[in-house]
Amino acid sequence: MKDIVMEKEQKKLFEKFNDLSLGRRDITKHSSKDLPKYNYPVNNLVSAFHPSKMEVVVTKIVEENENTKSFWLKREDSEYLPPFKAGSYITLEVHTNGRIYKRPYTISSDTNSLKEYRITIQEEKNGIVSHYMCHECKENDKLTIYGPFGHFHYSLIRDSSDIICLAGGSGITGVRSMIVDLLRTKKVSSIELIYGTKTVNDILWKPEFDELAKKNKNFKVTYLLSEEKREDYPYGFINEDLLRNLNPEGKTFFVSGPVAMYQALNDVFVKMDIPNKFIRHEEFRESLETEDVETYELTIHQKGNVTVIPCKSNQTLVQSMEEGRFSAPVHCTVGICGYCRSKLISGTVKTDTSALRKKDVDLKYIHPCVTYPLSDIEIELP
Amino acid sequence: MEKFDCIVIGAGNGGLVAALTLQKKGKNVLILEKGLAPGGVATSFRRGRFEFDASLHELCGYGELGNKGEIDALFERLGIESKVEMMHAKEAFHVVDKLTKDEYSMPVGVDNFIEKMEEYVPGSRDSMTTFFGLCEDIQDALSYLHSEKGAIDEKDLYQKYPNFVQLAPYKVNAVLEKIKMPKKAIEILSTYWVYLGSPIDDLSFVHYASMVYSYVLYGPAIPTYTSHELSRVLENEFKNAGGTIYYLSEVEKIDVEDGEVTGVQTKDTSYATSHVIANLSPKVVYGKMISKENVPIENCQLENERILGARGVSIYLGLNASCEEIGFHHYTYFLSNNLNSKVEYKKMQEVFHGNVVGVVPNIVNKKASPEGTCILNLTSLIFGDAFDKLVNKENYFDVKEQLADFLIRSFEETTGISIREYIEEIEIATPLTFARYTGHPSGVIYGYMAKGYDNLLPRTFSEEEETRIKGLRFCGGFGARLSGFSSTYLNGEDVAMKTLGE
Ligand SMILES: Cc1cc2nc3c(=O)[nH]c(=O)nc-3n(C[C@H](O)[C@H](O)[C@H](O)COP(=O)(O)OP(=O)(O)OC[C@H]3O[C@@H](n4cnc5c(N)ncnc54)[C@H](O)[C@@H]3O)c2cc1C
Ligand code: FES
Repeated sequence: MKDIVMEKEQKKLFEKFNDLSLGRRDITKHSSKDLPKYNYPVNNLVSAFHPSKMEVVVTKIVEENENTKSFWLKREDSEYLPPFKAGSYITLEVHTNGRIYKRPYTISSDTNSLKEYRITIQEEKNGIVSHYMCHECKENDKLTIYGPFGHFHYSLIRDSSDIICLAGGSGITGVRSMIVDLLRTKKVSSIELIYGTKTVNDILWKPEFDELAKKNKNFKVTYLLSEEKREDYPYGFINEDLLRNLNPEGKTFFVSGPVAMYQALNDVFVKMDIPNKFIRHEEFRESLETEDVETYELTIHQKGNVTVIPCKSNQTLVQSMEEGRFSAPVHCTVGICGYCRSKLISGTVKTDTSALRKKDVDLKYIHPCVTYPLSDIEIELP
Repeated sequence: MEKFDCIVIGAGNGGLVAALTLQKKGKNVLILEKGLAPGGVATSFRRGRFEFDASLHELCGYGELGNKGEIDALFERLGIESKVEMMHAKEAFHVVDKLTKDEYSMPVGVDNFIEKMEEYVPGSRDSMTTFFGLCEDIQDALSYLHSEKGAIDEKDLYQKYPNFVQLAPYKVNAVLEKIKMPKKAIEILSTYWVYLGSPIDDLSFVHYASMVYSYVLYGPAIPTYTSHELSRVLENEFKNAGGTIYYLSEVEKIDVEDGEVTGVQTKDTSYATSHVIANLSPKVVYGKMISKENVPIENCQLENERILGARGVSIYLGLNASCEEIGFHHYTYFLSNNLNSKVEYKKMQEVFHGNVVGVVPNIVNKKASPEGTCILNLTSLIFGDAFDKLVNKENYFDVKEQLADFLIRSFEETTGISIREYIEEIEIATPLTFARYTGHPSGVIYGYMAKGYDNLLPRTFSEEEETRIKGLRFCGGFGARLSGFSSTYLNGEDVAMKTLGE
């Protein structure tokens, strides 16, 4: 390249270039000597929306029915809990049996009241946390929660303005919050709720739903019973006929309920040719049914420390960590949030990699919360 | 207490490369990362059946076989070149002027680029040829500068690279006008200014030219499995070389005694070291991580003068139809309200302004999403603190949704491509999101503004003087080479070599 351009100014430029910092020193000579500002409004909002964890007090416990209780949680260190989108969950940490357990529970209260969150817990067969909460937790008890998290939300941009909510059992919690929110903000044109329970007594918040349906012409609710036959209630499970009757074309489904319900509905959706786009569902984990229970060794590397604990073939690695009193990093417990992501150093496993990044699948990363051991296992936690 | 030769704070691009470089030179290095994954914003995330790149549109300076670029050369030195799978775009960029609806598609390859420009702007050929000649000179000079570890011999520099020395103090517009580039050609050529986040009357010519050159020469590149692939491979290589990395480990304090680094502290652990490389903003480091009496006043003054760079809003869309069905034909769409960067920059101080960069990875990478689907990423920059002023606890979720709606509409109206009906997954990242994951002030994604005194060269030449606490250096987007994937990778190596020299 031939020499170029600014020849006339060459001398001047060279001198200028001699001060290689281009006046940087002079410019800052008169600036403030205070420590630099690093925190902006947006940074403060991060703490308001995403505190790393929260200490809460149980202010009120309400028995919703025979095996379900609601808990009102108030923050101890601040007046307000983080704003959340209807459908979000928190992770509840419970100390019992000399161990620490973390479980996700959907917030069932309203998005516009942030002084307290409500979570609603149905006691599960063999459940540890749900048993503890329903039988031992008392008002004024202190608990730790994390979150809110999750992606089970209504989106004005993505979703149809006519929605169909399919809720089963305790899956109603987030759907309730969503319906109340959408009716209040008038974001949708119509909501149809099909709410399946075993018996009439299992229906949560029936008076509230009935009242909402009376007040809002665009909200309709149908209760469906699977274990009790009553004249004024339809009987059975949500099936293809029922869905076809709802004229589902172009409407968005919000599905939340027990695993069996997702599995059954999945087949129906495929059969009815409903595109993925129109099906939003709460996250869930399939549990493993095995007869023979093997015990293996689980070796955990974390921050330079090595821990060895037993693990069982019918338990996820996270469950084995809980049993083995090893504090595992978990939030969702269903293999979706990525918080427990670990590298599998050796061993064979049965796992679900559907929520992992492709490169991580290649490099043998796993979500221990949805991983069952098939041999001795060695993993590295974050 | 664990002791290390060097502790790198943050596993972003700069931090990963700095750590890997030092570890490979036989040093014992620890990376402390507050999050859960390597890469900082060089990461990806899953929604439904899609995996979205959080940040990378395109990498510049990645050459192809037999035609080495700076980045593949670096990857070769780091031992990872054969472990990543890269793909190249055939088009440098596609720009749409919203006002006139004029569109310009600029190809890869210097000759192609010049020819195409001549087609759009007859009479531009000579100046474009001069421009690329200058680019070559500048590239050579910059390699020389970065390879000189000690003080730079100015006479020698002048003799070897006269054009570089002459142009060094000038801004983009000044030089392009001087070489008589037609106005329209200047506007098209300066399309990339948004990537550097300063309008061309404030942007160093040398810096801009080196970026344009490496895009046009090799073509924009992306990894097959998003930028997370690059970050994960770097992390893996670092661990295999014996390096240590701890996640969920936010450093709260850097210990300094008698003007020298002695260690760092997280919430629950202290580590000893005499070398720290910080992959974060000096505003944060001096502002809260070092006890006040140990913070040099001159560094405070400099930091108080420096202006935070662009904040970003990014909309990630998983679409349930293929590129052909939807009508995407370009990899990168630059949608501009005004091709004059000075005018556009002013407008971009608002939150809702409609300057959007759209990227469709599937055009380059068939594996970017499942068959019959594709991804569109829309990014819009905001200069200044308008977003800080706009949002609060009550309106944040709504603002987020309104912004996404506005940007999607802007894209649809400008390109005439409708996308709304195909949206299967949507995620929206705002400055708040980036602030959450990076911890950077105001959630900036581009470090500091490249203002005159804070351009590439002044930063590079002042680095030693401004290293006033012995053993404390900075790398990454707030560092000497400014922001961007390539700059931060290269800067990581520079800083590691300087640390090694100590
Ligand atoms: C995002 C999300 C939101 C949720 N929101 C709500 C909500 O709002 N309300 C609500 O009530 N629930 C909700 N759930 C479900 C709730 O998290 C579970 O009820 C909870 O995890 C149960 O915890 P537990 O301690 O009672 O059971 P666990 O500690 O999980 O114990 C039961 C485990 O033991 C295993 N097990 C059971 N039987 C046997 C056996 N015979 N032999 C061996 N192993 C056995 C099972 O695999 C099971 O995993 C939500 C779940 C998710 C993922
Ligand atoms: S805890 Fe969420 S993926 Fe395992």
